Amino acid sequence: MTQPSPSTDIRRDLVALLPRLRRFALTLAGSAAEADELVREAAGRAIQKSHHWKGEGRLESWIFSMIRSTSVDEAKKRRRAEGNAADDASAAGSSRPSKKDALACLPDGLASVFLLADVEGFAHAEAAAILGIQPDLFAVRLCTARLSLAAAAAETSERRA
Amino acid sequence: MNTPRPSPLELRLSAYIDGRTSDDDRHDVEELLVNDPQTRSLHDALKRGADLGRRAFDDMLKEPVPLDLVRTIKNAPLPRRAIRLPQGPRPTLSFKPSGLQAVAACALFFVLGGGIGYMIGGNPAVPQFSMISMPGASSRDWLDDIIAHYRLYSRQTNHLAEIPAERPADILEWLTTNTGVGFRIPDLSDSGLTFQGARLFAAGGGPVGQLLYRRTDGEGDGDVIAISFTKTRPEGNRSIEEIRNDTGLVSWVTPLATYMVVGPSSAADLDDIAAKAAGLI
Repeated sequence: MTQPSPSTDIRRDLVALLPRLRRFALTLAGSAAEADELVREAAGRAIQKSHHWKGEGRLESWIFSMIRSTSVDEAKKRRRAEGNAADDASAAGSSRPSKKDALACLPDGLASVFLLADVEGFAHAEAAAILGIQPDLFAVRLCTARLSLAAAAAETSERRA
Repeated sequence: MNTPRPSPLELRLSAYIDGRTSDDDRHDVEELLVNDPQTRSLHDALKRGADLGRRAFDDMLKEPVPLDLVRTIKNAPLPRRAIRLPQGPRPTLSFKPSGLQAVAACALFFVLGGGIGYMIGGNPAVPQFSMISMPGASSRDWLDDIIAHYRLYSRQTNHLAEIPAERPADILEWLTTNTGVGFRIPDLSDSGLTFQGARLFAAGGGPVGQLLYRRTDGEGDGDVIAISFTKTRPEGNRSIEEIRNDTGLVSWVTPLATYMVVGPSSAADLDDIAAKAAGLI
């Protein structure tokens, strides 16, 4: 896991982390456009609060937390907007594009768990803190994600056979 | 989330994959993996699922990042930081003199002012400067310079002239160039004067050419008579005829120059010499 060295300009580190930030945002947003908007918003917040970053730990952990909290805020806004325009709610929900084939099988909230633990290599406690959930719940969701992916892998191998 | 909750065995296997099991639990799981084919199959399936997920997420990193997103972050303004410059506590200056201090300060300034005024008033340089710069005195100073030079060089026996009479061409060129006055060397032998040579000096801030003659016969043998000329045109008198102590001076002015004949005050024929010189020069 490459870790960018702390520099005086957080913008440079953010650009270096962009592919991974987009990937994490995609597990929360569901569409590339929403994920990019999420990253843009979270990066702006991170830059404005960069003086709070003391260089301890992994920068991406801080940014991931910010992306997750931004996602929660955006979801609340969206729910309020959907409540005001109930007719448009179904259309908005159906417009969510699919993720990658293998990840499409993952229920909401599991992809980010799997990404943080098995791909990004975060410890369960740290990953659970990023997502704002308890470590036990994180372990259950991780197991569920692995089972879902295992089922998808089995389907894929059956199709090939 | 509508997915079914994993079974305890699935959770134990998931924790085993992560290495988060206790020693006892790890031994139990390893025993099951050896003895139970279903557990082994489930373990392999979890690992295959994890591998599939990792590959899928790794592929996502290959997608290009939108350029506008990169630009937005790179050009985002950094937060302004309030910088407090280091500075020591500013000393508080309170100017509240007492009555005695105020009186003492007034007395001090009075003494200082009086002293400075006395020094300025007693400085002799100031009136001298004002006299020098007075208008009207320039002609007098100019004549004073002429007479002073005459007195200085008329007493010279060996160094009367800078350029001797034997080099008339040199004299004409040198004095004409430096004074700007065209002239001829008058022959005043009829008056008993023999040309000795010439000099150049400054009078009244301007160059003055001087032709020197020595009386060789008659009364006053050895006296020096000088004819001086300059472009300077002194204000006031157009022509001067005066005696200053032991020196007599007769001057006349033309549109181009001012001429003077200077000699000892004992020379009674200075007027005649001047008249002849004016016609010959």
